[in-house]
Amino acid sequence: MGKKKFIDKKKSATFQLLARDFSDPNYSDSPGSDRVFVRVDNNPVSFDTVFDEDNNCYNDCQYDNEDSIFADAPNDNGDSGDDYDRVLGSSSRMVVNDKGALPENVRKEILELGFPDDGYNYLIHLREIRNTGGGSAFYHNPKFKPDQLPHDVKAYDASRVQISNSKGNYNEKSIYSVASNTLNARMNKVFDPEVAALLDDSDLSRFGSDIEDLEEDFIVRANTGEEGEGDESGKKLNFVEEFEFIDASVKNADTKSGNQEIANEVRNYQGEEKARSRRLLDEQFDILELKEYGSDDDDDDCEGYMAEEEEFLADKLKNVLNENDMDDLEHDDVYKAPADLLHGSKSPKSKELTADIMRRCAEYAENYENESEDEKVMVVQESSDESEQFDCESIISTYSTLDNHPGKIEAPGVTRKKKLAETVSGALSAKSQVISLRGKEKLPLDFLPNSRKATAEKVKIAGSIIPEQHKRKQHGQETKEEKKERKLAVKKERSEARKMKKAMKELYRSETQQAQKVAAISGPSAIRLM
Amino acid sequence: MTYAPMKPTKPGYEEPHEQIRKIRITLCSKNVKNLEKVCSDLIQAAKAKAIRVKGPVRIPTKVLRITRKAPCGEGTNTWDIYELRIHKRLIDLYSTPDVVKQVTSITMEPGVQVEVTIVDV
Repeated sequence: MGKKKFIDKKKSATFQLLARDFSDPNYSDSPGSDRVFVRVDNNPVSFDTVFDEDNNCYNDCQYDNEDSIFADAPNDNGDSGDDYDRVLGSSSRMVVNDKGALPENVRKEILELGFPDDGYNYLIHLREIRNTGGGSAFYHNPKFKPDQLPHDVKAYDASRVQISNSKGNYNEKSIYSVASNTLNARMNKVFDPEVAALLDDSDLSRFGSDIEDLEEDFIVRANTGEEGEGDESGKKLNFVEEFEFIDASVKNADTKSGNQEIANEVRNYQGEEKARSRRLLDEQFDILELKEYGSDDDDDDCEGYMAEEEEFLADKLKNVLNENDMDDLEHDDVYKAPADLLHGSKSPKSKELTADIMRRCAEYAENYENESEDEKVMVVQESSDESEQFDCESIISTYSTLDNHPGKIEAPGVTRKKKLAETVSGALSAKSQVISLRGKEKLPLDFLPNSRKATAEKVKIAGSIIPEQHKRKQHGQETKEEKKERKLAVKKERSEARKMKKAMKELYRSETQQAQKVAAISGPSAIRLM
Repeated sequence: MTYAPMKPTKPGYEEPHEQIRKIRITLCSKNVKNLEKVCSDLIQAAKAKAIRVKGPVRIPTKVLRITRKAPCGEGTNTWDIYELRIHKRLIDLYSTPDVVKQVTSITMEPGVQVEVTIVDV
């Protein structure tokens, strides 16, 4: 549109009207001074003259007061709000210099940073260090002064207090007497001067090792001592070294007055370790040790033995490092078999070793050659004689319970034999030579026990004559009684026939069951008889 | 505006602190009554000082709404709507900052935010 704005926000300064803090000296209850204008924008516009209560009061207004609760909050404008105090062209009272020159404070900062003062504002290329990342964020609280004590802590300088040496009177209240003798030299800064000196000290050579440039086999040397001396000298050496080291550290400590007592203590401790008198408890301990773990040796002997062990150890170490068998195997870039070495070398040890090696090689070669591939190792298992003999019990025990069922394994019925004999005899005598198999189950009916057919046939033959005679009478001339008799006779016949049928059925069923049993044991299971 | 010159050219020229500038006072509030009261007070004071005032421009109120499901009542359409209305007024002045300071030193109602924007001229 091109409409001209009343206010261009980028070229204007914005102030907010806020309530003034109560602790501000300018505060009063009148409506004129219970509020204050606080600038809230960051535009590069200078308005120092605007809304100044006094001419120099702008900064105070900006930060309220040092004691207000917001005083240590980071500034919204950034700490370098002064950087933006360039004047855009005009009008403010601050423009006393020539046009284009930098304000004094800007120039000061540039000079401080080491840039030349040539009228160019180098600060525009510099960024203020802020806590924008990189791990932990450091909040620089300008109110934090590490040297100063917080208000609830009181420190007293006691470096010049002389504590008199105790005369053996350690009463409980001595600490209070000490405290009462101190001067109340209250301190506000409590950095220990020694600690401060240490912190400032950049010379680290003091903490280097006194024992420098050790030889490579310093352990062996330390163990064996110098030139093969006895264990005592070795021990002494160790002890002396120890003591030297401690001395060195003690010397270091001596330079600091505060640690002198500690140094003394260390020395005393060292001395006491060696010169402690034997107490009753020590003797008791020794006696107990002897009893429990004891040999017949005396105390001194034990110690001597231990010392000897150490000596042996030291010697062993020495020897181990001296053996160096590898050095003997000097091949001179020529391949040598063990036999050559055997003949060529002179030292007895190596001769033994090589001889041994050769022997073992020969053994292995023999075993390898003699081994044949076809050998099979047969494992023969002897069978005991007892297991050859079977008896009923053992046979039955070899069956599983599926077969070894009392219902299945039973002695065949004795009574059947007699009946069988009867039927067989009966059938044989009456019939022809062919044994006929009848019925669904194809059973030799004549030979079945309890077969009533054989007997029934006889009865039938006998009984069938009588009704046939009656049937010859006339059809219409039957008397009632004859009719009744005839009917009764018919009924009887039928009932008997029914009985017979039922009996036969039962018989068949029992017989097939028997046959099934026999077939189950002996015959293949595919035959189904029922 | 035929008042003091805009740009100083000679050093040492003493310019008055009071220079007519364009000043915009923005008033924001959540309740209209207080806002209107403050507005009218400001305009009255400004007119008493005989400075050009452009009357309260009422910016459309912004309504911030939050809708939630009502805790009581079942079924559909049981919602609670909460809203917050923000009213804004603008007052434009042509005066010096000092005058503006006096003008704004009036009793203020609670809940009214005052912002003063001065154009750098």
